[in-house]
Amino acid sequence: MGRTLPSITQVFLQEQDSFARFRRALRRSDQLALDDLFAAAHQHLAAAAYAAHALPFEVFLLAMLLEEHKEVIRLRRLLESALPLSND
Amino acid sequence: MIERTGWLLDLYTHPEDGVVVWLLDEDGTRRRLRQALPVVFYAAGPADRLRLLWRFLSEQPQPPRLSRAERRDLFNPEPFPVLAIQVENPALQPLLFNRVTAAFPDLVYYDADLPISLRHAALYGTFPLARCQVSIDESGKIASLFTLDSPWELDLPVPPLCILSLEPDVDPFHTTPCYLNINCQRYSYRLALSPPRPMLVNLSAILQRHDPDLLLTTWGDTWLLPRLLELSEQNNIPLPLNRETGLGIAHRKERSYFTYGQIIYRGQQILLSGRWHIDAHNAMLFHDYGMEGIFELARVTALPVQTVARVSPGSGISAMQMQTALRQGILIPWHKQQSESPKTALELMHADQGGLVYQPLIGLHQDVAEIDFISMYPSIMVRFNISPETVGQESPTAELIPELALVVEQDHPGLVPRTLAPLLKKRLALKARLADLPAWHPRRASYKAYASAHKWLLVTCFGYLGYKNARFGRIEAHEAVTAFGREVLLRAKETAEDMGFTVLHMYVDGLWVKREGLSQPSDFQPLLAEIAGRTGLPIALDGIYRWVAFLPSRQDERVPVANRYFGVFQDGSLKTRGIETRRRDTPRFIAETQEQMLLCLGQAERACELELYLPQVLSLLRRQIAALRNGKAPLQHLLVSQKLSRTLPEYRTPSPAARALQQLQSVQKTLKPGQCVRFIYTRGDPGVYAWDLPKPPDPDCVDVQRYTTLLIRAASTVLQPLGISEAALRDRLLAGLIAQENLFAPRSILPARMPLQPPG
Repeated sequence: MGRTLPSITQVFLQEQDSFARFRRALRRSDQLALDDLFAAAHQHLAAAAYAAHALPFEVFLLAMLLEEHKEVIRLRRLLESALPLSND
Repeated sequence: MIERTGWLLDLYTHPEDGVVVWLLDEDGTRRRLRQALPVVFYAAGPADRLRLLWRFLSEQPQPPRLSRAERRDLFNPEPFPVLAIQVENPALQPLLFNRVTAAFPDLVYYDADLPISLRHAALYGTFPLARCQVSIDESGKIASLFTLDSPWELDLPVPPLCILSLEPDVDPFHTTPCYLNINCQRYSYRLALSPPRPMLVNLSAILQRHDPDLLLTTWGDTWLLPRLLELSEQNNIPLPLNRETGLGIAHRKERSYFTYGQIIYRGQQILLSGRWHIDAHNAMLFHDYGMEGIFELARVTALPVQTVARVSPGSGISAMQMQTALRQGILIPWHKQQSESPKTALELMHADQGGLVYQPLIGLHQDVAEIDFISMYPSIMVRFNISPETVGQESPTAELIPELALVVEQDHPGLVPRTLAPLLKKRLALKARLADLPAWHPRRASYKAYASAHKWLLVTCFGYLGYKNARFGRIEAHEAVTAFGREVLLRAKETAEDMGFTVLHMYVDGLWVKREGLSQPSDFQPLLAEIAGRTGLPIALDGIYRWVAFLPSRQDERVPVANRYFGVFQDGSLKTRGIETRRRDTPRFIAETQEQMLLCLGQAERACELELYLPQVLSLLRRQIAALRNGKAPLQHLLVSQKLSRTLPEYRTPSPAARALQQLQSVQKTLKPGQCVRFIYTRGDPGVYAWDLPKPPDPDCVDVQRYTTLLIRAASTVLQPLGISEAALRDRLLAGLIAQENLFAPRSILPARMPLQPPG
């Protein structure tokens, strides 16, 4: 629609496609984990668009890392609430 | 000399009489008046070429009045010399202009192709249906004219128009009609189309007897009027469709074009003079705002009623900008001359962006407020003075545009803000009035139609800033608007987060927010006030959802999508986006079932009560599946209607729509890209049956299996937030084993992360 540059979703899909050979060579279980990472990055497309970074894949990597870190925090809290006194 | 007051009905040029004005007099008579309205257009260029043009024009059979003048255009604040060419009769101007451009294609022309109604509006403040006071001399010529109304008043009464509706008894593109149904005031007539002679004689008498102001037809543009005119010619019986005798009937050809990611089909048009013709099937957005909306569009744009009914809102906003320019003495270029200024790749990456579209937090949420900026982009244009001539102009008070290395000057109101400000003011006043009116109030429907008409104008105004052919467009202005839009939305997000709200979703100009313990409209007022304060733009509470479900993508349930959700507001009304009921190609039977299921779930006051309504929803679904299997679903409700995106040879794979189109073409029925093909799914090959084939489809051939699948898929969309997948629903429904305890089992909304599958 009159855009000169590809939309962020198009960029994301191109980046994901460029790893098709890598994904194919992975074990099935690893493939699914990789898909999780891309799905995690997908949640931050709006922020990636706004960043207008020259190397968008760096932003996608950071978005994956962000979701991983959120998961770490969530698991740590879960663990701490399950074992409240174990550190003492 | 007599003085009369009445409403302006129609206005057009006439080869002998100059401008003809039809006035609906207060005493009920329709007066045909003449008015002298010389028009001026301009040429600019090198002095020697202008001298040659002067000579060329003086040698014309009816030489126009020529003079040298100084004028300014939008992008040059300093006046420059132009040749002013004044033509006494505006009807002759287009012809003269064609000759001029053929002989002098190198010159720059201004004010050369303006509709006469716009020139009239700029001079006299007129608009269709405006109340006017005129002095008329003995020969029916207007000596003076004053407009008594302003298009910006909220309550402009519609004069007592005589409307005659004319329609064939059936859809002519489905079967051949046999009768014409005619209604006018309390009279109704039914004329057999064959034999044609008595029909034509009767129709002619009816038209003469009622002398309608408006001919409201269905398929009038695309079938009925062309057919009637053809019969009239064959039988040599004139049909007084025009009120103006002696003028021909204007035809515009059909066309398909591509805009905003989709292909649009516009049927041919039949335009009358002295009387309007509107085809409800060919009018733009008629289903959205109806006659009231068309009248409102005509008022604010000053374009003729029958034109405005058919043109896109873009032409409407263009007309409004031209009027502003005419009133301010700014020349209107015949062709656009500005090109985009160069940018670096990095500048382009920052500038070439649209509005911010977030991915919502998937799942079911309770007590969510949806807040929207009111007409965000137009408000930005007015608030920050964004116009093609103001962007990039330095001035002491200029504002810096976020993200772009550009400024906007703030000292002189630009053309676009000047055009939009009264429209925006009227829209805000309408919204305020609507909010105060009780639901039963008779004016509500009109106000809603007006609001809808305004909305389209305002929406397209933004697009027109970036449209390459718009006369007052400039891509930098367009980019400035979206840049301010992103800034404003982010400021709103930051405000909400500062005040302890969770932002669930954001979409260009709207936010979905919630905070524990807040559920009443007044709870959200402080947030609205703070956002309005920090952004300088009006923002309003659209509503509070009892609950809303943001759905994941169909392909991957871990991935959220921006515009697929449904929810129930506190007043019980539903809002759905991107799901089956909203899709045009969903058969009515399925759309209605999904809506009923939603209404049923909508009874739940709180998200946790949804499960209580599950048995009811499932029994509804089972009943509908049974109806489908027993052939109780009406065939018409199973129709799939798909828009054609290309011509038959261009379809690479024979999709159902292409197969239906092929069936139609085999009986010499053709459809153009942008038109819809209607079909039902049938068993075996070819799998579809086109609805508009001469023979009706056999009810026993309906592909019940396929419809059941579609129905279950639509149902699962609605049940997804309850943790019921399509496969689980199908297994249980089809096996006839609805064990509710099993359905309840996966209770949680989608997990934050999907568990990893074991290897292998």
